[in-house]
Amino acid sequence: MPTAARTYWLTTSCRIRRKDQSLLIERDHGEHVRIPITDVRDLIACKPVDVNTSVISLLNQHHINVHLLGYYGDYTGSLTAADTATSGETVIAQVALATDPERAMPIARDIVRATAFNVRRIIDRTLLKAPYTVLKNNTEDAPDAASLMGIEGNFRRSAWEVLDTKLPDWLQLHGRSRRPPKNAGNAFISYVNGIVYARTVTALRLTPLHTGIAFLHSTMERQRHSLALDMAEMFKPMFSERLLLRMASRNQLKPHHFDVDSNQAMLSDTGRKLVVAAVRDEFATTVNHRELKRPVAYDELLYLEALKVTRACLEGDTYKPFRIWW
Amino acid sequence: MHVVVVYDTAAERNPQILRTCRLYLHHVQRSVFEGQLSPAQLKRFERAVKDVIDDGYDHVLVYTFPPGAVPQRLAWGITKPEPSDIL
Repeated sequence: MPTAARTYWLTTSCRIRRKDQSLLIERDHGEHVRIPITDVRDLIACKPVDVNTSVISLLNQHHINVHLLGYYGDYTGSLTAADTATSGETVIAQVALATDPERAMPIARDIVRATAFNVRRIIDRTLLKAPYTVLKNNTEDAPDAASLMGIEGNFRRSAWEVLDTKLPDWLQLHGRSRRPPKNAGNAFISYVNGIVYARTVTALRLTPLHTGIAFLHSTMERQRHSLALDMAEMFKPMFSERLLLRMASRNQLKPHHFDVDSNQAMLSDTGRKLVVAAVRDEFATTVNHRELKRPVAYDELLYLEALKVTRACLEGDTYKPFRIWW
Repeated sequence: MHVVVVYDTAAERNPQILRTCRLYLHHVQRSVFEGQLSPAQLKRFERAVKDVIDDGYDHVLVYTFPPGAVPQRLAWGITKPEPSDIL
């Protein structure tokens, strides 16, 4: 991302207050903490937060978005800065691109393929080779976005099963379940997915694009930022599945990091802190970018992806969705 | 880059400089601040501090560390939590 500021993560319930033109975090338990406002790029609230008008006007001045995660760690919404970078000209170009099936369908198809490619790359190359080939062939003649998503669902089902074979018993997913996640593995995936989605929204809001007009997901589906859903899709496996596999194999995840009931699960307070720290470090990991010829953080990849979509809209470049190249 | 700021100012200007520093850095001890600043932020910070202090009397020290380098931090005595972006 272009700025030097950082993401701040609120993992306990708190009240955000404005104090001396800067932020004061008042927690129910524990000391109050001041955060230097110029160091904040966005806030991700994993627990309930209270805000008031004066805080919001301060956050507005500094163009800071607050992303809110719900009880089960799913994305519930954002407080976005009032003035956006959205430009009319770009949005018109974006709409033209998204509503023209001749041009939108190849993009949607590519997104599905790139996602599958990344999933396969993260989970298991050999075991997912057959499902991936099937997906590649089927997407060729899929008539619309809905059928593309069906094809992707089939691929995902095999991917989840392969993922289960690499996890200890208590972390296995047994099929993806959401709202609420049924078991510990699902709770972990939901949580990280929510964070990736929130960061994608921040990245998109730095570009002149409209976050609601998408290629694969239907426009403004369930009041979500559909374009963010499209773009987060490629990145989710890189964080969720990969971190789950890594933290399970390193024995970092323990049963006490989750609160598991008979039919639902969520991260416990210690678990949440652990996962948030892991995700933060993962976002800061750098990889050498071939075209830019410099190291970029995973975080910045989200922004670069948003810029690629912008170029596709404005300059008619073919949009090549993100595939893990290393 | 990582920055450590230490100031010694006249008592009547203490609250002002404290407030200025809090906009940019984490307060770690009475007149000590640390945090991450970009070169541009450091310039802005410098201007803000110079507006507040009296050049003939006050003294502000800024230690910067090259990008990527983070100083080893030893804390003795009562331990305060280290400034972190996970709250």
